Amino acid sequence: MMAMTVEFGHYALVLALVLSLVQSFVPVYGALKGDARLMAVAGPVSGMLFLLVGLSFAALTSAYLASDFSVQNVYENSHSLKPLLYKITGVWGNHEGSMLLWVLILVFFAALVAAFGRSMPEALRAAALGVQGWVTSAFLLFILITSNPFLRLQPAPAEGQDLNPILQDVGLAIHPPLLYLGYVGFSITFSFAVAALILGRIDAAWARWVRPWALLAWMFLTLGIAMGSYWAYYELGWGGWWFWDPVENASFMPWLAGTALLHSALVMEKRNALKIWTILLAILTFSLSLLGTFLVRSGVLTSVHAFATDPARGVFILAILCVFIGGSLTLYAWRAPMLKQGGLFAPVSREGALVLNNLLLTAACAAVFVGTLYPLALEAIADDKISVGPPFFNLTFGPLMIPLLIAVPFGPYLAWKRGDLLAVAQRLWIAFGIAILAVLVTAWLSGAERILAAPAVGLAVWVIAGSVSEILSRARFRDVGIATGMRRLAGLPRSAWGTALGHMGLGITALGIVVTSAFQAEAIRSVQPDDNFELSGYELIFKGVAPRRGANFTEEVAHFDVYAGGAKVSELEPTKRLYTARRMPTTESAIATFGFSQLYVSIGEVREDGGVDLRAYYKPLVTLIWLGTLVMAAGGAVSLSDRRLRVGAPKRARQQAAPAE
Amino acid sequence: MIIWIVFAILTAIAALSVLVPMARERARDGEQPSHDAQVYRAQLGEIDKDLERGLIDDESAEAARAEIARRLIAAAKASEDNAKDRAGSSRAIRLAQLAAIVFVPLATIGLYLELGTPNLPDQPLAQRLAAKPTQQDLPLLVARVENHLADNPQDGTGWDVLAPVYMRMGRVAEAATAYRNAIRILGPTVERQSNLGEALTMANQGIVSADARAAFERAVEIDARAVKPRFFLALALGQEGKNDEAAAAWRSILDEAQGNEPWIQAALSELEKVGGELPQKFARSGPSAGDVAAAGQMSEAERTQMIEGMVAGLDERLRSQGGDAEEWVRLIRAYSVLGRQDKAAKTYEFAASSFEGDPASMEKLEAVRQALDIAPAGSAGDAPAKPE
Repeated sequence: MMAMTVEFGHYALVLALVLSLVQSFVPVYGALKGDARLMAVAGPVSGMLFLLVGLSFAALTSAYLASDFSVQNVYENSHSLKPLLYKITGVWGNHEGSMLLWVLILVFFAALVAAFGRSMPEALRAAALGVQGWVTSAFLLFILITSNPFLRLQPAPAEGQDLNPILQDVGLAIHPPLLYLGYVGFSITFSFAVAALILGRIDAAWARWVRPWALLAWMFLTLGIAMGSYWAYYELGWGGWWFWDPVENASFMPWLAGTALLHSALVMEKRNALKIWTILLAILTFSLSLLGTFLVRSGVLTSVHAFATDPARGVFILAILCVFIGGSLTLYAWRAPMLKQGGLFAPVSREGALVLNNLLLTAACAAVFVGTLYPLALEAIADDKISVGPPFFNLTFGPLMIPLLIAVPFGPYLAWKRGDLLAVAQRLWIAFGIAILAVLVTAWLSGAERILAAPAVGLAVWVIAGSVSEILSRARFRDVGIATGMRRLAGLPRSAWGTALGHMGLGITALGIVVTSAFQAEAIRSVQPDDNFELSGYELIFKGVAPRRGANFTEEVAHFDVYAGGAKVSELEPTKRLYTARRMPTTESAIATFGFSQLYVSIGEVREDGGVDLRAYYKPLVTLIWLGTLVMAAGGAVSLSDRRLRVGAPKRARQQAAPAE
Repeated sequence: MIIWIVFAILTAIAALSVLVPMARERARDGEQPSHDAQVYRAQLGEIDKDLERGLIDDESAEAARAEIARRLIAAAKASEDNAKDRAGSSRAIRLAQLAAIVFVPLATIGLYLELGTPNLPDQPLAQRLAAKPTQQDLPLLVARVENHLADNPQDGTGWDVLAPVYMRMGRVAEAATAYRNAIRILGPTVERQSNLGEALTMANQGIVSADARAAFERAVEIDARAVKPRFFLALALGQEGKNDEAAAAWRSILDEAQGNEPWIQAALSELEKVGGELPQKFARSGPSAGDVAAAGQMSEAERTQMIEGMVAGLDERLRSQGGDAEEWVRLIRAYSVLGRQDKAAKTYEFAASSFEGDPASMEKLEAVRQALDIAPAGSAGDAPAKPE
């Protein structure tokens, strides 16, 4: 019997499209008419859609594993000699496969809502799953019409064209799935927002049901962006960890909007306020995800003109973009005036602080938006290619972060409804003292030439110390003693821990960014074997270059011994690789980690005489950038595990009106 | 066929995922408690617990209770409104059922037939490689050798085997690389050098490039009499417009030719192209295909004239340069066909005199004489004249 896995996967995908059309109409109509039988369809069909797209994805993966070059997508992006891991990751290392992963995650979130969203009103759940069905059918149609990964080749070529070598890295295994879990995850909050607008019922309970989903998506997005940043850092060989590249911005914008959403949903839930704004944020966050997908997938970034010459894909996504963003905003404009706004509140209060947070985050998001899209618009209209580089973002995004970081420690201290800024300031004096100390130490260490470094370090330390002091003050060690204090600390709501960890992570990341930007040391030179040079107290000795052979590449390995204080502390082997199938060279940098700091070496061409050109960096505290994001995501996870947020779990005691004071 | 059964099962499950929940829901069509109210009641309970644990004071607890109570009343009212129009329409249900039973299968199969390739099984590489070599496609065999060479790039014989296969597949650039590798590892031979040149020439749309010429020159250095490289070098001269040199080169190649080589026609036409005179032995070797075709279009007289011209040419060559018995037989027959019995007889006489002492040739000549009933011219004089 002949195996037909590939065609089975193709059929499952087509079936998923047709079924998602049913999903788009039946439950939504049921929700509008209050017909429980029609609404009941939403859950099982969501599960079925996940199963179908999952089968389809599995079929494509098996074609990759078997090197089935009769599948055009496998032929174009795989090679029989490729290591197993990259055969698997190659599935989403290309346009068609990555869109399939996109849809898989879309239906995955719908299935999660179907499985765990039983505590919410049936109509909201059914309508939200229906809206999710709209997005799913639009993207399935896009895949089948313009980007079908199941197209076949007959006769089958003998060997594949291999995956782009830059993508042959563990980074590809982790980064896109995390990133997609993040920004496709926000589709759920979008669907809930649109469903609420359709049903015309938006209240505090809505925020309570939706917030865990936003939190889940936000966690993945945080990790995905951080992973992408670290990947670019070690793979591209330039030692940079953020480039303000449009592709990066495409994922960063939903993150900023999503972070704002998390905070405003808190106000909506607790104070029944900011409802209109929160709904808008939910719509905007996913709209920015769609925009990012359009930017990355349409080819518009390479060149507006390249996009115009092969417009099928781009125009299709653009149409999806217009229908969903335009449609949801129209619905919003129609329904929003009907919403009754909640109570007013004082500017100095928890909700006031959260509004400030939202203002700054959305302004920052707008800055990134302009910096990303302006060059594209200009190229399209004036045929003028400009690039908006880091200076633009440093001047717009940077200044917005300063008040944000100053304000962060105040937020959790402030009471709901009416806060006392002076009282909060008094409680923060220890944190403030630590920050000042950090400024002084930095200034003393760095001297006068990096005058901005000291206050920047102080600001980062302020955020970290502020969040630590907040969680400690909740335990009231001074009033109740160590033992009771510890018990109180353990008994604090997980959401309080989540807040503290989230803010602390932000501070840690900021510290890493500030220190590595201000105090990084760099050496660009060419060396002969047995040359040595010094960088920030480390002595590097170049031992020469030797060839090495990998599974599907050959490489020239440069060997460096690293000495500190006369003792050998590490060895570095940066390489220059040539991937045989595509004849494409890549640079593999070598990194040695000392504490939180890193020594980073990458080489250029190897010369005839055995010498190499190299660039070496010492990056102090650079790993804090990514460790901070891990702490942030951990904060999200802790907050998500709070029992009151755990969807479907029995509800339990929580503070309603004020934090424990 | 099995695949269609599998498709049908999958489609049925998908349809059931729509039908079953609708059917089951009908059974428990009772009143559902408001979820909003549940949330708010839970929040009320939380306030009491917070108060017990001393997390909030009486005043703020009271304020919070009042706020939640307001929300609770609003939620209860909304839920009542909702319950009023809760009766579903059976028409919508029937439409949904129709969608599951008719639309889902038909739309899926229709779209799949448009997009899919239902008769094409999987072709995993391992399975293709495991097939018997005779059943393997040529590209796959080539890929096998390529894989082998990727691991053992110093295997000259491998390159030597692969190169002509590339040529046959039309992958001329890769053929050139393969020949280069073979030459580098195994050393140059006339054959490799001239094949390399040929590959380079073909890759260059038939124009002999400098690279290709260098390869042919290497080949000639090894063997000055080798035909293939000299052929291409002559071609190169012609392409450069050095017509005289080209003509000389062509003539020197043709002079050494046996006359039955497959490339002779090409060489002759190249020679004509550069305006050189055809060497005599080829000029008289018989009508070219073009000549015969031309003959078909001629008038009877013209044709006879042309044939007579050709026969005369053959006669002249045989008399001046000599030829084998076959050629003489051909000439004799030709005269006979033309009705020139006298000429045929004279030719026979001439030939017979030149083949004295060669019984085999004499036998052939005698055979044709008897067949055509030719009277030997020599004896004709001796024999009594026929009555007029």
